[in-house]
Amino acid sequence: MSQSSQSTSLVSTRGIELGLSVFTLAIGAVVMFGSLEQGIGWGDSGPEPGYFPFYIGLLLSLASLANGVLTLVRWKPLSVSFVSREQFKQVLSVFIPIALFVCAMPFTGIYIASAVFIAWFMWRDKVRAKPYGKWMIGSVSGGAVLASYLIFALWFKVPLDAGPMGDLIAMAGRSMR
Amino acid sequence: MSEFDSLLQGMNLILTPGHIGLMVIGVLLGILVGVLPGLGAPNGVALLLPLTFTMSPVSAIILLSCMYWGALFGGSITSILFNIPGEPSSVATTFDGYPMAREGRAAEALTAAFSSALIGALAGVLLLTFLSTRIAAFAMTFSSPEFFAVYLLAFCTFIGMSKNPPLKTVVAMMIGFAMAAVGMDTVSGNLRLTFDQPVLMTGISFEVAVIGLFGIGEILCTVEEGLVFRGEHARITPMVILRTWAKLPRYWFTILRSTIVGCWMGVTPGGPTAASFMSYSIARRFSKNRDNFGKGELEGVIAPETADHAAGTSALLPMLTLGIPGSATAAVMLGGLMIWGLHPGPTLFVEQHDFVWGLIASMYLGNVVSLIVVLATVPLFASILRIPFSIIAPIIIMVCAIGAYSVHNSMFDVLLMLGFGALGYLFKKLGYPIAPLVLAAVLGDKAEDAFRQSMLFSDGQLGIFWSNPLVGSLTTAALLMLFWPLISSGIGALFGWRSRHASKPKTL
Repeated sequence: MSQSSQSTSLVSTRGIELGLSVFTLAIGAVVMFGSLEQGIGWGDSGPEPGYFPFYIGLLLSLASLANGVLTLVRWKPLSVSFVSREQFKQVLSVFIPIALFVCAMPFTGIYIASAVFIAWFMWRDKVRAKPYGKWMIGSVSGGAVLASYLIFALWFKVPLDAGPMGDLIAMAGRSMR
Repeated sequence: MSEFDSLLQGMNLILTPGHIGLMVIGVLLGILVGVLPGLGAPNGVALLLPLTFTMSPVSAIILLSCMYWGALFGGSITSILFNIPGEPSSVATTFDGYPMAREGRAAEALTAAFSSALIGALAGVLLLTFLSTRIAAFAMTFSSPEFFAVYLLAFCTFIGMSKNPPLKTVVAMMIGFAMAAVGMDTVSGNLRLTFDQPVLMTGISFEVAVIGLFGIGEILCTVEEGLVFRGEHARITPMVILRTWAKLPRYWFTILRSTIVGCWMGVTPGGPTAASFMSYSIARRFSKNRDNFGKGELEGVIAPETADHAAGTSALLPMLTLGIPGSATAAVMLGGLMIWGLHPGPTLFVEQHDFVWGLIASMYLGNVVSLIVVLATVPLFASILRIPFSIIAPIIIMVCAIGAYSVHNSMFDVLLMLGFGALGYLFKKLGYPIAPLVLAAVLGDKAEDAFRQSMLFSDGQLGIFWSNPLVGSLTTAALLMLFWPLISSGIGALFGWRSRHASKPKTL
C-alpha cells in the first residue's frame, strides 16, 4: 500500500513464499505420516481410516512443492519487499499483545485478561492528540467485559472461564448470600 | 401449487413476534459485522453459532440468515461512505458509490444500493422457492458416487475459476480437508491425526479457523496498511428515498440483467464477488452514460448491488438442495445445520419440511426487514466506524477470543485461533484464498464418506465415477473445470495468437 516506506524492506516476498510453502509441505508430510499409522490400504471392511487423508496429504505436499519450485523460478520478480520495517513494527505491536492476551487467558480467566488487554491498548495509543483519560479507559474496558458477561454467561448461558480470581469472587458472592 | 402452500405454511410459522424480533436482531448484528473492520459475514455467523445451540433450528437459522443479509447490506454502507468494501463482493460498489458520496449524493447512492439489493435478493428467493423442490427431488436419485462427483465439481470449480493461483487454491483446500480429518473417524471410530494429544481428540473446529483466518488475519492486515477512515456523511430523509425510488424504474433493464447474472453466478459456484464485477462491467459496456461510469453514475451502483444480493441468496439453493455451499458464509451456515443435527441435502426437504419452508419464508421477510432497518440506521452505523481504532480493535479481538473459546469451552481453541490469525495474514498477503479452506473444512467429512462408500460399492475401482451417464458427466465436468485455466490458455494460444500479434503495435 504505502510505497514511501519501501526503502527499508525487512524481508523479500520470495522468502515468505518459500517459507510458507515449506510450512504447508511439512503439514502435508505430517498428514501423510499420521495416515500411514492408521493404514492406508484396503482392510476387511473396505478402505482403512488413513486411505482418504493420505492422498489429501500427498496432494498438499505436491502442491506445496510446486509452489516452492514456482517461487524459485520467479526468484527475481519476487524480490519485492513483503513488508517494510515500519509496517512490520505496526503488525507486531498488535500481534504480540494478542499473543500475550491469549497466553494469559488460562491463568487469569477471560474477564481479567480482556479488561487489561483493552485498557493497555487504549493507554498505549499515542497517535491521538489527547490521550484517553483514566475514567474513559476504565469505563470502556470494564463496560466491554461486563457486556460480554451479560451476553454470554447470563443471556445465552455460555459460561466463560473466569479464572482463579473469578472463581474466588463467585465463592465470596455465594457465601455472602 | 404445492410450493405456494408450503410457503404459506412457512410464513405461518415465522410470523410470530419472537421470530420477527430475532430478524431485527440478526439484521442489526449483521450490519454491525459488515461495517466493522476485521469482522465479516463468515466470522460473524461463526461467532454467533455457539449461541444458537439452545435455540430451535428454525429460530437459529432465522437469526443466522438475517445476519447474512444484514452483513451484505452493511458492506454497501462502508463501500459508499468510506470507500472501504466491507465484503469482497461490495468492491464493485465503491467504483461509483464513493464518487457519488463525494458529490454529496451519498443518501441517493445508499437508497439506490439498498433498494436494488432488495430486488436482487427477492429474485434469488423466488428462484429458490420454485426450483428447490425440483432440484431436491432430482437429487433424491443420487447415491454416493453422484454426491462425490457433485462435491468434486464444486471443489474443482473453485480451483479452476478462482482469481488466485490454482496451486495456492489447492494448498488452501487441502489444509481444510486435513483439518476435517483430525479427530474421530466417522466410519471406523479410530482417532486420526491426533498423535495422542487429548486436545486434538475433538478435532479442529471450522469455526475456530474462520474466526482466526477472517478475524485476526484481517485485523493484522488493516493495521499494516495504517488505518485512516475518512468518510462522507449521509442523512437519509424520506424525501430522498422517494426521489430515488422514482428514478429506479428507468433502470429496469439494468436491474433485470443484473438479476439474471447474479442468480446464475450464485447457483453455479461463481459466487457474489464474481457476479457483482461481471454485472458492473456489462452495465458499463451497454450504458448510454458510459463515460460517467466511475465518476458517480447511479447505474454503476445499481448493477453490482443487484447482482451481489441475487447471487448471495441464490447461493443457498445448492446449499439446501445438494449440501454444497456457494460462499464461505453459506459454508459456515451449513456447518451450523450439521451441528444442529440436520442433514443438508435433498432429504432435508422431506424430513425437515417446516425448517426449509420457514427459512425460505424468512428470506422474503428478512430482506424487507433488512431494507427498513438499514435505511433507518445508516447514520448510527457510520458513526461506529468513526470510533478510534484503539478502542474498536481490542474489543473485536476480545469478541473473537470469546467466540473461539465458546465453541468447545477450550483454551486450546483460542491458541489455535491465534495460529490461524497469523496464517490468515500470510495467506492474504501472498494471494492464497481462504474460502476454499473453509469449504473443505466443513465438507471434508461428507466428501470423504461419499468417496469411501463409492469405493466400497466398486471395490476400489475409480471407474465407478463414470459408471452411468449422470455421474460420468458430472465427473467429466469437474475435470474440465479443474483444468480450465490450462484449457482456456490453450484455446487462447490457438486463436488469440494472431490477434495479439496484430494489436501489439497499437500498445507500443
